[in-house]
Amino acid sequence: MVNAYRPSTIDEALRIRNETKALPLAGGTDLMVRYKNWAGLPPKFSQPVMFVAHLHELKGIEVEGDELIIRSATTLTELLKDGRVPEVLKLAVKEMASPLVRNIATIGGNICNASPAGDTLPPLYALDAKVVLRSVEGERTVPIEDFITGPGQTVLKENEILCEIRIPMDEFDSIFYRKVGTRRANALSKVSFVGLKNLQGDRIDDIRIAFGAVAPTVVRSRDAEKMLKGIKIDEIEQIYPSIEAKYAELIRPIDDQRSTAEYRKIVSLRLLRFFLLGKAD
Amino acid sequence: MEISKAIRRVDNDEKVSGIAKFIADVKLEGMLYAKTLRSTRPRARIKSIKIPKLPNGYFIVDKNDVPANNRVKLIFTDQPFFAEDVVNYIGEPILLVVGPDKAKVLEILEQIEVEYEDLEPIFTIEDAESGTKPPIFGDDNLFADYEFTKGDPDAAFARAYRIIEGEYRTGIQEHIYLEPQGMLATYEDGTVTVYGSMQCPFYVKNALVYALGWPEDRVRVVQTTTGGGFGGKEDYPSLIAGHAAFAAIKTGRPVQLILDRTEDIEATTKRHPSIIRHRTALDASGRIIAMEIDIKLDGGAYATLSPVVLQRSMFVSTGPYHIPNVRVRGRAYATNNVPRTAFRGFGAPQSIFAVEMHMTNIAEALGENPIDFKMRYFLKKGDDTATGGSVHTDVKLDEMTRQVIEMSNFYEKFERFRKEKGDTVLRGIGFSAFLHGCGFTGKGEEVIKATAKLRRRDDGKVEILVSSVEIGQGAQTTLRKIVAFALGIPMEDVVYENPDTSRVPDSGPTVASRTVIIVGGLLEQAAKELKARWNESGEIEVIKTYRHPEYVRWDDEKFVGDAYPEYSWGVNVAEVEVDPVTFEVRVKKVWGVYDVGTPLDERVVRGQLEGGIVQAVGYATIEVMESKNGKLMQNTITDYIIPTSIDAPEIETRLVVSPYPYGPFGAKCLGELPMVGCAPAVAAAIQHALGLKVDEIPARPELLLKKWLEKSR
Repeated sequence: MVNAYRPSTIDEALRIRNETKALPLAGGTDLMVRYKNWAGLPPKFSQPVMFVAHLHELKGIEVEGDELIIRSATTLTELLKDGRVPEVLKLAVKEMASPLVRNIATIGGNICNASPAGDTLPPLYALDAKVVLRSVEGERTVPIEDFITGPGQTVLKENEILCEIRIPMDEFDSIFYRKVGTRRANALSKVSFVGLKNLQGDRIDDIRIAFGAVAPTVVRSRDAEKMLKGIKIDEIEQIYPSIEAKYAELIRPIDDQRSTAEYRKIVSLRLLRFFLLGKAD
Repeated sequence: MEISKAIRRVDNDEKVSGIAKFIADVKLEGMLYAKTLRSTRPRARIKSIKIPKLPNGYFIVDKNDVPANNRVKLIFTDQPFFAEDVVNYIGEPILLVVGPDKAKVLEILEQIEVEYEDLEPIFTIEDAESGTKPPIFGDDNLFADYEFTKGDPDAAFARAYRIIEGEYRTGIQEHIYLEPQGMLATYEDGTVTVYGSMQCPFYVKNALVYALGWPEDRVRVVQTTTGGGFGGKEDYPSLIAGHAAFAAIKTGRPVQLILDRTEDIEATTKRHPSIIRHRTALDASGRIIAMEIDIKLDGGAYATLSPVVLQRSMFVSTGPYHIPNVRVRGRAYATNNVPRTAFRGFGAPQSIFAVEMHMTNIAEALGENPIDFKMRYFLKKGDDTATGGSVHTDVKLDEMTRQVIEMSNFYEKFERFRKEKGDTVLRGIGFSAFLHGCGFTGKGEEVIKATAKLRRRDDGKVEILVSSVEIGQGAQTTLRKIVAFALGIPMEDVVYENPDTSRVPDSGPTVASRTVIIVGGLLEQAAKELKARWNESGEIEVIKTYRHPEYVRWDDEKFVGDAYPEYSWGVNVAEVEVDPVTFEVRVKKVWGVYDVGTPLDERVVRGQLEGGIVQAVGYATIEVMESKNGKLMQNTITDYIIPTSIDAPEIETRLVVSPYPYGPFGAKCLGELPMVGCAPAVAAAIQHALGLKVDEIPARPELLLKKWLEKSR
């Protein structure tokens, strides 16, 4: 048995977190599964638990300057209902789990769970999102790719809570998202792909590419993106082999109960080719 | 017919509202909980089991607590209730920990140490065939090895102009009934009573009587509201009913044993994976003159129902086609996998997949449209079946096929999709035709001699007394309708309670799509007799025992004659979209035309058809279950994927009726038919979309991509 806390303010939550290292639990859609027990028994948590989904300081979406701020206990359903949330993030959220799960699952939970197959992550990487971490000692802001260090691993300290996600309000002409799941709903990703593109005339002005579920963390290559920037659309084909080689090096999937390493790798590159060249073969 | 009109299902409200009590909802005073210690090794000798000191009120129940025979009685008695000196699959029960507090029970369970000495495991059919490892079952490691011949296949192959061969594979399928398995046993006044989720109360009772060595009147089995079965609750409940009963007898307290979902997936039975080889002899005009079929099933660690599953698989292995010369060989191998047993279709989905894909491939090899090719071989009334029996009633496959072609616009799409080369979608359309033998296979009905009873009670109500159960398929509604219509009384005046073996005769198990055609047939006869005696005063009881129609001939040694008294028929067309980038398959629409005889309730029939189609779509495309060193990789419903409502295709079905004179109101069999034949329509559609052979299901994207790359090379 472990203690469970229900703070009424974020300050109280930070204090409890500091004193007890209690595990923040928002929607619980990952944690309750991870710690599930024989039916009829409480879940097998190994550390104190703190409920945070009700804290109003962790709820809501707002714009500050040229950044969109999404507070961490915002549910997936709430993201879908907000007109300011980037389209590519919505495309990913729409294909996550089921309406029931989306009603309680939170964006902060999906980030902190740090699953290689976490579906909000590839869009957040591509959008250059940052996370704001708070503790009784203060606050720090960390780019999402520095926050997540491996499967289930983050730099979140034992006394910190992830409070906000900050996303630059960039616009993209071309938005491509694909989730390859085992079925069309309520399924974990085998592969996911985000492609964002802005053109100036027939040249690429900005391009962002991210892959999910094919490496310990989301794959994004700023090198490859740099190689593509400034290139004419009809010149992509010439440099495509070197682009593909860059990603092929970074995409290191595994065989597991959902798919094979071979499939994940080949399909990732087929999606890349489809996004950049408009055809897979 | 009036009876065909849909009425509100009698179990509708209590299930939709959540009022219905399942066995896990039942809590009795002083009840204890049981949890199973399971083997973690696929094949090993148990050297020792170290059990911690037990607190007061906690018990271990193991092989030493089985009063007479530590064997689950079924076809063979190879399966122990609790492992003795060896374990043969991961998940095999070794002992139970029983006590009042679940947390404590778990704690004790986790402290038990089993010392194993690993033995050389057999994991696959190929492993088993190689014969290099010590057998698990008998000397040859085969649960069954059969062969039958019709005509002179050797002569036909000798004069063949062309021989077309193919090998087809099907995967493991998990039942995923909504309600996991569970039992509750009590022991009072020298009688043990087991309540639980089950398809076959008398299988459970007979298994208990054998294990306990007690007289029949000290063993009682009561079915509780059962949340689906699909064959998974045919024989498996006998095993855990034994566990709960032994525990109740040992402790003198009620004991509840409920499997959690993951435990249920890991430890309970599955559909047999198969490897099926076809050789077909054609004459110079392209006409089929003989078929040779070799069926291999992976039976898992214990025999369960494998021999009969194999028989059904073999008996329908030439599909709904009239083939003059036939040889069929079948083998069911023992492996160190979780046992395989009954699953909706009972061996037929495997062999129908193989024959349908093979017939499609022959048509392609001959440059013919698969439908036109298949239609030429459709069985007709009077034709002989694969086993040399006879088709005794009208077959309406031609008409059904014409309807499904028109409904789906098959020919036009077949040509159009072939020419389309989409960058974002590839479309395909496929056809399948199939049959299902009604009732038990071979001598089954003769052995079980189903008995049904109708009683007009003093209160004027008529009670159905049978051992057939409602498992979601609609038996409560359909059997009541048969009696109400035959007697001309209101539905509300017909009583049909969940069977209790101390009150009902043995009408056989709720399996093999036999509940309506066999048990319903007996109830119709009983109702007619009761109607004739209606003016008698007081309570009236009418008992009927099943006998096959006069014409049925069956030689159970040679497998010659009528393997089934009657058949139901079906045709499907499936339309799919395949993503050419990822090879994900979307089954867009399935059309089906079926002959199940007279429908006894059109909505119940539609429910069975649509449910069966969706289950078959899962089987054909996404239901992947792999075993790595005997351990199932997909052991949760997160990882073992069945279709959700948005994966389910649009479905359009129609019925064509060729009534069965011996079925109630002309009804035939229904439940399994839609599961039996839809997978090959889906696979043929994928084959059509991609232009490559789909000889294996599930046709998961990983497999399709691999084949695509091989083809492009």
